[in-house]
Amino acid sequence: MNPEILQDLESFVPEIVLTVALLLVVLADISLPKLRTRVTFLVTAVGLLAALCFTVPLFGAGEKALFYNMVALDRMAVFFKGFLILASFLVLLAAPGSKELSSTHLGEFYALLLGVTLGMLLLASSVDMLMLYLSLEMVSLTSYIMVGYLRHDRQSNEASLKYILFGAVSTGSMLYGITLLFGLTGSTKMPAIREALASGGASGGNGMALLVATALILAGFGFKTAAVPFHFWCPDVYTGAPTPVTAFLSVAPKAAGFATLIRFFFSGMSDTTTSASQWSAFSAMNWTSLLILISIITMTLGNIAALRQDNLKRLLAYSSIAHAGYMMMGAAVLSYEGVQAVLIYLITYLFMNLGAFLVVIEIFNQTNSFNVNDYRGLYRRSPFLAISMTIFLLSLMGIPPFAGFFGKLFVFAAAVNHNLAWFAVIGALNSVVAVYYYARVIKAMIIEGGDEGAGFKLAGTSRALVWIMLLPTVGMVLFWDRIQALTGRSWKFFIG
Amino acid sequence: MDPTTVAQVIFYFFAVLTVASAAIVVFSSSLIYSAFALLFTFFGVAALYVFLGADFLAATQLVIYVGGILILLLFGVMLTHKLYDLDLKTETFQFFPGFLVMAAVLLTLTGVISKTQWVSRGERPLNPTTIAIGLLFMREYILPFEVASVFLLVALIGAAMIVRRRRS
Amino acid sequence: MIGLNHYLFVSAALFSLGVMGVLTRKNAVNVLMGIELILNSANINLVAFSRYSVASLDGQIFAVFVIIIAAAEAAVALAIVLSMYRIVKSVNLDQADTLKG
Repeated sequence: MNPEILQDLESFVPEIVLTVALLLVVLADISLPKLRTRVTFLVTAVGLLAALCFTVPLFGAGEKALFYNMVALDRMAVFFKGFLILASFLVLLAAPGSKELSSTHLGEFYALLLGVTLGMLLLASSVDMLMLYLSLEMVSLTSYIMVGYLRHDRQSNEASLKYILFGAVSTGSMLYGITLLFGLTGSTKMPAIREALASGGASGGNGMALLVATALILAGFGFKTAAVPFHFWCPDVYTGAPTPVTAFLSVAPKAAGFATLIRFFFSGMSDTTTSASQWSAFSAMNWTSLLILISIITMTLGNIAALRQDNLKRLLAYSSIAHAGYMMMGAAVLSYEGVQAVLIYLITYLFMNLGAFLVVIEIFNQTNSFNVNDYRGLYRRSPFLAISMTIFLLSLMGIPPFAGFFGKLFVFAAAVNHNLAWFAVIGALNSVVAVYYYARVIKAMIIEGGDEGAGFKLAGTSRALVWIMLLPTVGMVLFWDRIQALTGRSWKFFIG
Repeated sequence: MDPTTVAQVIFYFFAVLTVASAAIVVFSSSLIYSAFALLFTFFGVAALYVFLGADFLAATQLVIYVGGILILLLFGVMLTHKLYDLDLKTETFQFFPGFLVMAAVLLTLTGVISKTQWVSRGERPLNPTTIAIGLLFMREYILPFEVASVFLLVALIGAAMIVRRRRS
Repeated sequence: MIGLNHYLFVSAALFSLGVMGVLTRKNAVNVLMGIELILNSANINLVAFSRYSVASLDGQIFAVFVIIIAAAEAAVALAIVLSMYRIVKSVNLDQADTLKG
């Protein structure tokens, strides 16, 4: 065995832990008939926590590429690994408590969760197009299965069918684009692609080919981050999937998609020689304008479509499309400040979005409904849930002092600092529009009266989980400089 | 006959076979005809791989695509119709807009292909590839190779779980 | 002489036909066939570039992985389609309409 491979394995411990946990879960599921629910849950939980513990020390390592330049180990990759494992862990805690999943055996669910986490870790650190495609498909396939987990439920099945058909076409088109890029540059590795494009690989008649290739590759990224015009699957899939899966999809694969989008465009298609902190797109392919356009259309369409939704899951689906638009603002400015803004936005988004979905799960557990009309008078039946949901929604709106405000602040500031103030203004206007549909839910819960029902009895674990989401959402303002410092150090990634 | 002309004729035969079968897959109104035309498409692609000197890949294409995926698709066709549904007709929707999109895509791609100067590092000689591919899997491509095995495991578990019958 | 462009045109034709199949077909298995056409077209590109442009086996290795992924994807897709058939007794995409908001 090559000594380099053995050395790289030392930096690969989180992924190995996840794989071992996956294998143990599969074994436990087939061999322990009575204890398997508890054992599989425990193995998954321990596996994710162990992976998280092994991820933290990697933060100090320098930037390098592992396994013959397939994946990179740099601070941004480590940040995303920690983020994604944490997101999976929180969803793991939420899954058994949901009524939708209580009727099914969850052994395979935990295996799939470990599999999708492994795929996301690889996706966020890929620097080779083959590795990117393989890990993207790994995340996507496991997501399709998780969405269709309630295999006797018509909506869950329909959601997974739409998801897989749309997803397969998007990733297939992305693959075709990757092959065109391969033909233009002669390599599948991002550093080599960048060098080939820099030295005139895209001049003259090749500009058209590069444009077509980039547009097709964007189909795949757009699909993963649910950006317009590749967002069509999102509302139906979010509505039909079991809500814990929806919560997971809205945060984790989206974050991984952003990580790889940033990596591909910044290290594969930008001119990094002009200055250390500000890069520029190659003149042959002005993809920054393309991303700005996509960002604007995405946030606008997401916000406008959410205005008419009564189903909370559908409303949150369009809301998450809009948030992807705001995050794309950070990616479109092509600088370290933009990357830092995206990272901050993701941290805030993780807690507020998962928190909102947690409350939706709990309310469904008690009322069997996702309709906003059944949220009326929630304040009387469960003040805890109503107040928590209000806080999450205010944070999603971007109201200070809640976490969401900081995400938006940084993203808009990044735009302003790059002479794109008009872009930030459009973002701000969109946030104002969004206030309406979030406020509608708050109004229903607190101000309007509903049918008087019994008070909710929340399980201790559910209450604890909501607190786990609430504390960062409310308290982030206190730890503000720590977060800024952490993300400020995390934007550095492997250029090669 | 001059060998290059023979080679050209054979190439065109397989190229036309592939594209024509693909057209039948997409335009035929009978599901069974589509499925069998897909068989010929896969064969044609395998023949093109042989022309391109990819011997291992051609064999893999035949074994996995024809022997695996196509059989799976045929099962899918058969198991999703009632036994007495003898003529498996399929409908189409929005044929004309779809056709316009297809024409637009085809025109764009052919235009791009004819105008572009692809990278040219020379041609690869037509050597047998199997040993070289095997070595590459164990060296430069070892990580995707291992990840692919975990990927297949997870896909297998997931697919089996979805199709499992309700526990009685 | 058969050159790179010949193969690229064949794959472009397959890609367009695949897109057409995906957009116009109502039967879910038929849509899957269109997706397989798209994946095969990308593979032809990879192998053709491998032979004529890049002079290495990178394209062929990528193509092997694409075949692996396509097989897994087809298996999962058909599992979902079969599951749909059990619930709705049809795989016509018109029947997939309960989620419209």
